[in-house]
Amino acid sequence: MNFDQILGHDRQIEILRRALNTDRLAHAYLFHGPDGVGKRLVALALVQATFCIDGQGCGRCTACKKIAHRNHPDIHFLEPDGNSIKIEQIRNLQRELNFRPLEASCKVGLIDHAERMTVGAANALLKTLEEPTGNALLILLTPQPQRLLETIRSRCQPLQFTRHTHARIKDVLEQKLGLAETEAHILAALSDGSFKKAFGKDKELYLEKRRDLLKTLTGLSSGSILPVLEFAEYLASEKADLPDILEIFQAFFRDVLLMLHHQDESRLVNQDLMDRIRQVTRRESTTAVLDKLEALAAANTHLERNVNRQLAMEVLLLRLTADSERHI
Amino acid sequence: MAYLVLARKWRPQNFSDLIGQEHVGQTLANAIRSGRIHHAFLFTGARGVGKTSAARILAKALNCEQGLSEQPCNECPSCLEITSGQGMDVLEIDGASNTGVDDIRELRENIRYLPSRARFKIFIIDEVHMLSTNAFNALLKTLEEPPEHAKFIFATTEPHKIPVTILSRCQRFDFRKIPVQKVTQRLREIADAEALQISDRSLGLVARHGEGSMRDALSTLDQVIAFCGETIADDDVQALLGMVDRRLLLDTIEAILQHDSRRLLDLVRQVDQLGHSLRQFVQELVELLRGLIICKVVADPDDLLDLVDEELKELQKLAEAASLEDLQRIVTLLMKVQAELSNSPYPLLTLEMALVRIANLAPTQEIGALIRQLELLEKRLAGAPVSAAPVRGAKAESSPTGGVPPKKPEAPVATKPDSTDWQGLVEKVRQKRPLLGSLLEHGRPLAMAPPQVDIGYPKGSFMLVQLLEPENLQDLTTLAEAYFQQKIKLTFSAIEEEQQDAPPSLVETREARETDRMRRLREDAMQHPALKNVLEIFDGEIVKVIPTDKGFV
Repeated sequence: MNFDQILGHDRQIEILRRALNTDRLAHAYLFHGPDGVGKRLVALALVQATFCIDGQGCGRCTACKKIAHRNHPDIHFLEPDGNSIKIEQIRNLQRELNFRPLEASCKVGLIDHAERMTVGAANALLKTLEEPTGNALLILLTPQPQRLLETIRSRCQPLQFTRHTHARIKDVLEQKLGLAETEAHILAALSDGSFKKAFGKDKELYLEKRRDLLKTLTGLSSGSILPVLEFAEYLASEKADLPDILEIFQAFFRDVLLMLHHQDESRLVNQDLMDRIRQVTRRESTTAVLDKLEALAAANTHLERNVNRQLAMEVLLLRLTADSERHI
Repeated sequence: MAYLVLARKWRPQNFSDLIGQEHVGQTLANAIRSGRIHHAFLFTGARGVGKTSAARILAKALNCEQGLSEQPCNECPSCLEITSGQGMDVLEIDGASNTGVDDIRELRENIRYLPSRARFKIFIIDEVHMLSTNAFNALLKTLEEPPEHAKFIFATTEPHKIPVTILSRCQRFDFRKIPVQKVTQRLREIADAEALQISDRSLGLVARHGEGSMRDALSTLDQVIAFCGETIADDDVQALLGMVDRRLLLDTIEAILQHDSRRLLDLVRQVDQLGHSLRQFVQELVELLRGLIICKVVADPDDLLDLVDEELKELQKLAEAASLEDLQRIVTLLMKVQAELSNSPYPLLTLEMALVRIANLAPTQEIGALIRQLELLEKRLAGAPVSAAPVRGAKAESSPTGGVPPKKPEAPVATKPDSTDWQGLVEKVRQKRPLLGSLLEHGRPLAMAPPQVDIGYPKGSFMLVQLLEPENLQDLTTLAEAYFQQKIKLTFSAIEEEQQDAPPSLVETREARETDRMRRLREDAMQHPALKNVLEIFDGEIVKVIPTDKGFV
C-alpha cells in the first residue's frame, strides 16, 4: 500500500510527501481523526516511502514486501495489550529504538490507539518522544487526541484526518460490494465517514431488519402498552446488536428532525422509508423529537453502564411512544 | 533522518534565548554571579515553555570550562557534551522511565564519587512527578544535604504531584506561559534565520495556535514549512491549522441568535462537507462567542481580543443583537456539546440536535427585570404593603377542611392615595407612644399632603381634647416630621358626626374589614358539605361563626 493507493486524505498525504521530498520529516507524528478512516494505512504508506529503495513505495522491493507482511525488523507496532498500553510495552519499545536499525535508515515505532496509554506509559514516552536516541520515527495514532497528555501532544507534529465524504463511501460500497444505490446510501450514511464502520456493518441487520424494526417502532402507540413491552423484551434479547439498533433508531429520528426543518430529502438516511418519515413528521413537534433523541442517548448510556437491559428498553420505548402533545 | 525539528534545532542555549522567562534567567544569573548557588532546583510550568532547556543551560553555566558564569560559552567540551546529552558529569535522567526506589538508590551510590572532569556532578531529573512515593522518600536525605559537588535540577509539568517534603528542599521556579507577542517575535527571528517568506499575520496565527507554548508554536511552524515550502501563503496556514472559515462561524452564530434552525442545519451540512472536525468547529464557535461576550461587557475590547478592525466591527454588530444571558447560555450548552462529541457514536447527529435545541430556546429574561415585575405585582396585590401589621389578621384565611372550593381573593381594601402614608405614620407613632398611636387610629385623615396634615375627630370627643394638649401636639409633630422628613403642620379639627365624605379612620376600616370577613366566613361555612349535613340531620341553625385562627394572631 503506497500513497497513491489510498483513497482520499489528499491533503495529509501531500503534507507528508512534501516533508519527505524536502527532507523535513519530523521525528514524531500524531495522526488523529475518526476511527476507520485510514490513519494506519497512511502511516504504513509513509514508512514504506521512507524504507523503499526508490523512495516511492514500489511494493516490489524487499522492504516494501516486508512492510506489507508486517515482518519488517525495524518497525515496531504497539497496540493496547488488553485495555491499555502499559509502561512495560513502552520500555520495550524504547529498548528497541536504542539499537541501530537493521535494514532500513531508521527505526519506526507505530503506536496505535495512543490514547489508551496509561499515565505511566505516556509519561515514560515523553523523553523519547522529545529527543529519540539515534534515528527514529514515532507515529502515534488516535481517534481521541484530547485524551492524550498535553505534554505528549506538544511533542508531536499533529496531522488531522477527516471523515470520508458520504459520496466516496457510497461509491466504494457500490463498486466493491455491488450494493444497490439506496442500500449503499443507507450504509454510507450510517457509517459516518468511516470505511471501517461501513464495511464492518452487519448488512442484513442494517438493510433488511432495519425496515422491520422501524416499522414496528412507528407502529407502536402510547395507547396500547402490551405491544410496547413485548417489543422491549424483543430488543433486550438482541444483546449483541442492541447498540446498532439504537443507532438505527437515532438515524430515523434524525431524519424526522431534518424533515421537520424542511431539509433536502437527499440528506435523509432512510431513503426507502420516506412515507413513514413523513407520517411521523406530521404528528411530531421539534421539542418532542429532541426529547426522543435524548431518550435514545440516555438509553445508550444506560447500556454502557450495564443497567438491566429490559428495563432500559422499556423506559426507552415508553419515552419514544409518548404522545407529542404532552410535550407542547 | 538528519532533519531536526525546529523546536530541537532552536533550543535556547543561554539564558538570554529563554523567551518569556526573564524572571528565571535573571535570578539564576544573579545567583551564579554572587556565588550563592542552591543545590536543588525545581522548574515547573506548562509544556514547551523552556524547563528542560533552562535545566541544560544551568548545567552548562555551572560546568563551563571558561569558569562559572551566567553566560556559558557553548564551545568548550563540557558545554558541547551537555548539548549533545553525553556529559559524564551531567546525568539527564528520565524520571518517568526510572520511577522506582532502586533507580534512586543507584543514583545515591553514584553521587558519592567526585565529578570526573567538571566542577559539579549535576543530576537533571525530567518529568520528576512520575517518581514513586518510595523513590521520593529515598531521595529526601540526599536532597537535604548532598555532597558539595552535587547539584539537582528537577523539571516537571505537574508540581502538585511532588511531596511537600521534596518541594521544601528545592528552590522552585515557576515558568510562565509565553505571551503571543514574544512567541511571534521569536518565530520571526527563526523564520528569518531559516530564510522563510511568511507574513506577520501567519506568524501570529501560528503563535496563537501554540497557546503559550514555544514548542507547540514551533511544531506548527514546522508543519507549515513542510506543507508550503519556503514561501508561505496566509490561506495555506489557515487551511493547515484546520481553521473553520470565519464566515461560516459568524453565519452559525447569527442563525442561532435568530432562532433559525433550518439555516443551522444547512450550515452543519456545509461544515460536514468541508470535512472539518466537528469538535474543532464547536471549539471555534465557543471562542467566537467569548469574543461576543467580551464585546458586550467591555467598552473597548481591543486589548482583550486581538482581531482586525473589520472582524471586531462584525462581532460588535452581532453582540448588539444578543443579550448577555443568552450568549452565556449558548456558550454553556456548546461547551457541553463539545464534551459529548468526543464520546458520541454519531457526532453529526449530536451536533445537529444540540444546535436545533439551542436555536429553539426561549429567549431569556433579565432576572433584575423579573424581580422588579414581581415586586410591582406584589404591591398591586397587597394594597398596603408598608406596614401590614394591622391587616395581617384579616389576611390569614381560616379555611375549614378540604373539599371546600377555594375562596375568592379578598376584595381589595379601598385605598386612597394617602392611606399608606397615614397608616405608616400611625404605626410609627404607635411604636414610640402607644397611647397617642391608639388615639390616632380613631382619627380620620382629612388632608394628607405634607407639609399639611389635617386629622378629623368627632366634635367634642375625648380623643380630640387629649390630642389638642400642647405637649401631645408637640410630640406628634416631631414624630410626623421624622416620618415625612420635612416640616409638618399638624392640625386636628372637629367634624360633624354626619359628615360622611371624610375618609374612614383606621379603626373603622379595620372593623369594616372584620365584618366583611365574618360575613364571608359565614358564607363559606354555610357551603361546607359537613355543616350542611349537620344542619339537615339535626334541623339546626347557625348561631355564631368563630374563626379558629383568631387566637393565634
